[in-house]
Formats: sequence, C-alpha cells, structure tokens
Amino acid sequence: MMPNIAVGAFILAMVALVWMLQTRDFDQQMATLARDVQWAEQTLRLHMQSDQEFLQELARDASDGQIGGGKFQARATQYLAINPHLSNIAWADADGIIRDAAPIKTGYWNIGKSLAPTEQEQGLIAARNSGRPMYGNAYISERSGPTLELFVPIPHGRNFLGAMVATYPVSGMLRHLVPAWFSEKYHLSFTGAGNRLLAENSAARPHDEGLSYSLNFDPPGNGMQMHVVAYRTDTSLAKILSILLIVGLSLLVVWSLWSLRNSLARRIRAEDALRAESNFRKAMEESMPTGMRAIDMHGRITYVNAAFCKMVGHPQEELIGATAPFPYWNPEDTAEHWRNLQRSLAGEPPRSGIESRFRRKNGEVFDVRLYEAPLVDSSGRQAGWMASIHDITEQRRARAELEASHQRFMAVLEGLDTAIYVADLEADEILFANKAFKNIYGYDAVGRNCWQVTSACHPDPARFMAEARKLAPHQTPLELHDTELQNGVNGHWYQLRERAIQWVDGRVVRMEIATDVTDRMNMEELNNKQLERLEQTSRLVTMGEMASSLAHELNQPLSAIANYNMGCVNRLQANDYRPEELLAAMQKASAQAERAGKIIRRVRDFVKKSEPNRGAVEIADVIEEVIGFAEMDARKAGVRIGVSVPPDLPAAYADKIMIEQVLLNLVKNGIEAMHDTPRSERELALSARANGKDFIEIKVADRGHGVLVEQREKLFAPFYTTKPEGMGMGLNICRSIIEFHHGRLWAVANSGGGSVFSFTLPVNPR
Amino acid sequence: MTEPRVHIVDDDEAMRDSLKWLLESRGLKVELYPSGEAFLDAFDNSFCGCLVLDVRMPGMSGLDLHEQLDARASTLPVIFITGHGDVPMAVSALKKGAADFIEKPFNNQDMLGLIESCMKQDRAAAAKRAENASVTQRLDSLTRREREVLGLIVAGKLNKLIADELRISIKTVEVHRSRVMEKMGAASVAELVQLVLKTQA
Repeated sequence: MMPNIAVGAFILAMVALVWMLQTRDFDQQMATLARDVQWAEQTLRLHMQSDQEFLQELARDASDGQIGGGKFQARATQYLAINPHLSNIAWADADGIIRDAAPIKTGYWNIGKSLAPTEQEQGLIAARNSGRPMYGNAYISERSGPTLELFVPIPHGRNFLGAMVATYPVSGMLRHLVPAWFSEKYHLSFTGAGNRLLAENSAARPHDEGLSYSLNFDPPGNGMQMHVVAYRTDTSLAKILSILLIVGLSLLVVWSLWSLRNSLARRIRAEDALRAESNFRKAMEESMPTGMRAIDMHGRITYVNAAFCKMVGHPQEELIGATAPFPYWNPEDTAEHWRNLQRSLAGEPPRSGIESRFRRKNGEVFDVRLYEAPLVDSSGRQAGWMASIHDITEQRRARAELEASHQRFMAVLEGLDTAIYVADLEADEILFANKAFKNIYGYDAVGRNCWQVTSACHPDPARFMAEARKLAPHQTPLELHDTELQNGVNGHWYQLRERAIQWVDGRVVRMEIATDVTDRMNMEELNNKQLERLEQTSRLVTMGEMASSLAHELNQPLSAIANYNMGCVNRLQANDYRPEELLAAMQKASAQAERAGKIIRRVRDFVKKSEPNRGAVEIADVIEEVIGFAEMDARKAGVRIGVSVPPDLPAAYADKIMIEQVLLNLVKNGIEAMHDTPRSERELALSARANGKDFIEIKVADRGHGVLVEQREKLFAPFYTTKPEGMGMGLNICRSIIEFHHGRLWAVANSGGGSVFSFTLPVNPR
Repeated sequence: MTEPRVHIVDDDEAMRDSLKWLLESRGLKVELYPSGEAFLDAFDNSFCGCLVLDVRMPGMSGLDLHEQLDARASTLPVIFITGHGDVPMAVSALKKGAADFIEKPFNNQDMLGLIESCMKQDRAAAAKRAENASVTQRLDSLTRREREVLGLIVAGKLNKLIADELRISIKTVEVHRSRVMEKMGAASVAELVQLVLKTQA
C-alpha cells in the first residue's frame, strides 16, 4: 500500500514540479517579456520624447523667428539624418499650409501645399486647441504605409503660428527603434484604433500566442497599442531535455520503486513462508516425542527441544550451554558416554544410532537410541551435531517380552517330542519345522519340499478330507487327515494329523503333527499278546478246571470202589470176615461203579450237544469274512493279501463258522510266518478252485520261513507248536474239523519260499 | 488219654464209608465226620492218632479246618487228600504243618502206610510230650538258688567258680548241687544237662 501511495505521491510531485517549472518558466518569460516590452516602449518613448523636444525647440525658434531661411532645413535634415526612424519634419502654419519641409525631395510634404485633410488637419487642430504637442491618429499613408504624426504648436503669445510636424512611419519606427535581438525574440506589432494592425516587425507570426504582452502606446495616447508575442524556439530544446530528463528519471524512480515494492513483497512473502515454516518446524519439534539435542563442535549443548527436556527431566536452561559430562548421563555408564561423545565429535557416529542409557533428574534410568547428524550453518560450514533421541525403554521391554514369548513358544515347540512342520500349499516348501521333526528328517529340512523330505512317512494327500489349496483363511483351522503310518526308514509308527491353518502372513498352510506312537503300538501289541495269552491261559484254566472237576467227580467213585475192594481183599486175606459184611461192601462198590458210569455218560451228552451245523457255504463269502477279520493284523504286519476265487465255484457243504475258524487260523499262521520276511515280499495268497467233481480245494500260500519236511507231519499233532506262545492245538483242531467234514488238510512247501496249506471240502453231503 | 483213632473228614459219603471199610480191615479205629464243622464240634485236645482231610469240600475247606486246629494247638497229624491240580494248595498246607498229602486217585497201600506212619509219629510225640512235662514239673520243684546253681552247672562251671559267682561257700554249692541232682532224678551231670536241654528244645 505504502509503496503504491509513495509512487502515486511521487508521480504527483513530479507532475507538480514539472508544472511548477513550466509555470515559473512561463512567468519568467512573461516577466522577461514585460521587461523587454517596457524597455522597448521606453526606448521608443525616449526617442519620441527627444523628437518632441527637438520639435519644441524648432517651434520655439520658429516663434522667435530664428529659423527662417535655410536654418530650418538644415536643422531638420541634420536631425533626420541621425534619427532615421523619422521620415519627415515639416513646418506648417496656422492654416495648415506647409511652409517648409525636410527632406525637400519628397513629393509628399510639398512646401506650400496644405496639410492632408482629416488626420493631419485634426492633428493640427488638436495641437492648436491644446497648445501642447499632440499626436495625430495613425493612418495609412500612400507612400509609407501606416504613419503617425506629431504636431508641436508654435506659440507666439496668444497667437497660433502653426505647428512643427514630424512623421513617423510606423514600420520605420519598428525597423530603427527596436533592436535586432528584440525582433528575433519577439513578434512586435502595433495596432491602431479599432485594433487595426498598423505594422509588425516580421511577417512570421508565432503559432502560439500564449506568451504575449500588450500595452498602450502613450504618447501618442491615441489608442495605439503595442502587442508583443514571444517566439518559443530558443529555450525549448533544453527545456524539453530537462523535462525529458525529469520524466525519464521519474520513470526510473517509479520503476525502481516498483521493483523495490515487488522485491519487498517477495521478501515479505518469503518471510511469511519462512515464519510459517519455522512455526511448522517448531510445532513439529514440540509435538514429536523425539528428543532433539544439538551440540557445537566443542561438545557444548546449543539446543534442546521440549521433548528432550521432558525426557531427561532437566529444564532447558540447565541444559543449554552445558558441557560433558552432561547432567543426564547415567553415572554408571560415564565411560561409554564419553566414548560415544568422542566418536560423534570425531564425525563417525554409527548410522544405526547409538544405544545408551540416560538418567532423569529424578534418578530414573532409561534406555535411549541416539541418531547423530551433522548440523550445518547457513554458510555451509558444520557447526555441530544434531542428535535425535528416542526413548526405547518401552520398545525394549516390548521387544524383550516378545523375545521371551517367542522363546517360550520355541521352547515348548522344540521341547515337544511330537514332530511338527508347516508347509506352504503352493510350493510344498517347509516353512517351519521343530526340533523333533529335524531330528527325524535332518536339520536342513526348512525350505525344502515337504513331500521329498518326508518321503519315508507321509500320508496320501488325495485322501485328505478337503483340498487344502482351495481353502479360504476363514475356513481354517480345519482337520484334513488323521492316520497312523510307519516310517519306512526308522521303523517308528507315527500318528499323523494334517491340519489347514492360517500362517502368520495370512495365507493358508498345512501343518502336520506327527506323534511317535511306536511305544503305544508296541504296548498295544503287547497288550494284544497278553490278552491272547490270557485267553489261552483262561482257556487252559477252563479246560483244566473242567478236567479237574471231571477227574474229581470220577475220582470219588473210583477211589471208593478201590477202597471197598481193598477192604474186602484185606479181610479175605486175614480170614477175618463176615460174609454179609463183604456182600454189603461189594454192593456199595457196584453202586459206585454205576455212579462213575453216569458221570461218563453226562460228559458224552455234553459233547454231543455241539454237533456242527452243516449247509451250503459259498467259499468266496468265507474268504471275504476271514479277510475282514484278519485285515487289521495284516496291515500291522505289512502283509498284502491276494484273493483269487473263480466265479463259478460251487458251494461247499460245511459248517460255515467252523470253516471260517480253520481258514482264519491258517491265514493268521501265514501272516505270523512272514514276520522275518522282507516287507516287500510279505504277500499272502488265498485261492480256491474245484478239485474234481465233488471237492473244492482252498489254498493259503505264504512267503514265510517254511516248514521242514520232517516237521510237516508233526504240525498236525496235538500240542506241537513252533510258536513261543502257541498251544499246539490250532492245526490239530483244524485237521479234526476238516476231517469231520470228510475233507483233508495238508501242507506243502511253496515253490517261491514259504508254505502252502490246503484243505478240501465236499460239494455235496455224504 | 484217649485211644488213637483215624479221624476222616470227607463230604463224599461213599469215600468216608469205603475208607472206613478199608482201614478197619487193618484193625484201625476210625471216626467219620461229614464236614469240617462236624469235626470241630467233636474235637478236643486229647484226640490222638491222625486226621485224614479232603481239601475240597463244600462249606469249610480242609485248609480252613487245618488252620482252626492250629489255632487250638492241636498236635494231631493231618493227611490231606487232594484232587487233580491242587498240588500248590497241598504244598502251602505242608508249609503250615500238615504231615503229608496224598493225591486222588490214591494207592490203597500208600494210603495205609501213610496213616500208620502218622499214627506212630503221633504216639512218639505224645510220649515225648509226656516226658517233657515231667522234667518241667521237676524243674518247677527247685528253689531259686538251686535253679541258679543248675544254670551255672549247665553252663559247665566248676563248684569253685559257682561259689565265687554266687558269693557262697563251696560247701553250700555242693549241698545245692546234690539237691538239684536228686530233685531232677539225674545220675550224672551229663544226664542233667541232657534233661535241661530237652525242655529248652
């Protein structure tokens, strides 16, 4: 605003100045003009005054009569000669008759002639009437143009003797009385009554009549006026130059003012921006929790922000200007603080910052991280170091907690004896594996393909309950599979649980939890064996009890019979008896024999009750059911069971349950026989075929240890066994059952190793 | 003292009767009881001879009965009759003091021999018990000082030493000594020692 006003004021002042100069110049010119005009008028008047005095002298002399003869002529001519502005001097009498005139040669003023009427006559009359010199009205003469005439009366007492007349040709006056410099400077013109132009000194009239001056020309005082107009040529160049200069300078000043204003505005803008920036920075600095501290090159604190003061608990004034050791240093770590400071001052602060411990004013110690950056002043010279300080106590605590929790987590996972791994579903890459897993599959498992790593023991992904790759994260966790498998390499059994879970980065991954269940399996097996033994034992006990009670029952009558008999014998030997006594004893013995017979009959009746229930039996059904029973054992033992039954096989006539018992017994024997056979060869082949028209032959072929030729017949004997826990009854009973069915049971060596047990059954009842 | 008899406890009537028939053919006195309870009712400590006991009986078993008898300080020798498979039971019975066992079906001669040897044993034991009883009686008749002297004599000490130990004169010792010998009915020191040791056994 101000600059605008200043510029405006300046322009106004300049304009006023120019106007004033102009005005003053004009006034000065006007004054000069007036002076020059008055001076010219004065000159004219002096000349005319002296002309008047000369004429009065002539008139007086004429009154005295002293100019008669040639005197007038001489004096007048002489006078005319030195005053060229006069054209004529004449002497007229009272009547207006020219008595003499000089110069004589002019035909105009002829001696003896009357004065020209009107103007000349009126002049004369006026002179006569007033008795004083009088100028006649200017008129245009035929010869000399505008003309003015002076009439000086010649008094003689009360008489009027005439007048002396001097003729002024106006142009002559201009020519001779006005100096040359005046004519150059001014245009001078005379006007008569009625503003009639009488004469002018130059035909060139100035264009501008602004600078002009008029005054009455007195004498003659007859309304003649002198009019002067100045030519404006001579001073205009300098004036224009000066004006131009002024204008130019003014423009320059205005321009410089304008640019000053602009630069001022720019500067203000820059200052505003700077202030805004500074405020912004200050606000930023105040608002941020990061402490800022600057030191100069001598290690003196030059600046701290509010956050830093708050952090260390010292007010700003205690910190600014402080030198090491700084009040916030933790006294226990002073040596380290010194080392860090030295490093900073030496210009080698670590980029990753320095971790240190500060102490608050209240004695609290806290962890900080400092980042140092060179502080450069406006001249580009380093003035010190600026450090930003972060309170990392909380961060450290959180990190420590996180670490601890991670460690706990890892300790748990690593401590588990369950092998766990997590694999990517796309690349099947192992993302995580715990120690138990690595113990089994090697310590380089992470990052490798999971199927390759676990090739010794992994489930078939095709049997998973869901396609894990298609699962969305919200569908997890999801159980995919649960199975028990044996590791082909270390022989351990594992329970494998496959789960789809969401991994730490959000994607769905598969986790396998492999629990070593070998011990459990062994235990189960042991349990089973124990159970079997128990069953056998209880069977034995039952059999033993049955036999024992049978024996006891039979013992009673048998012992009694023996006693009666022996009693009788003893008495007969001693010859000490009474016959009726002996008879009674013998009768009692017979009764006991009958009692024993009853017991035997009862046993026979009991055996008779378990007669087989024979009928048509489809061998394929029998085999299928037996495999159903034996499948569990076969899978555990790693034995594959092959079945081959022709579809047109006729039905056998047999007790289905009993035949199943026989076949199951043979199948179990076959499986157990292959215990030491290599896993890949453990195969049990069940087959059936027609044997002649009336029999069906069923074969059970194993690849086990086989049976020696000499053992082969013993196999079927009772209480013969090759198994540690065997009773030695299985094959014996089997053979009994088959023979009961009118079939045969026998064993031969398998051509590919192992044994083949075969039995036949009739097709039709006998 | 009652007459020695063979006491038979068996639930089987035919067994009881036939055994009685057999044993009587050898001149043995036989008493029959159909159950353990019946025997216990009849039993008193004067019973002698032997007891033939069936292990397997309804109600009180043979073993139970044996224990009861032990509790009543019976000296009656016990022969168990066991059936098939009862051997461990019989062994435990033997450990508890049974005389012997015999397994059914038994040989009659064996059975008779066993019974007769048991009865002989019982007779000898009864005689010994009677002798012990008389020695004890004689010991009880000694005075306190005499019993002290007897103790030292049995320990093999001479009169002088005994006198020193008991702070009495040798003469007095000699008097006590002759009294002890007299009261105990012993002809020599060796006999005296034998008598005392018998009671202590």
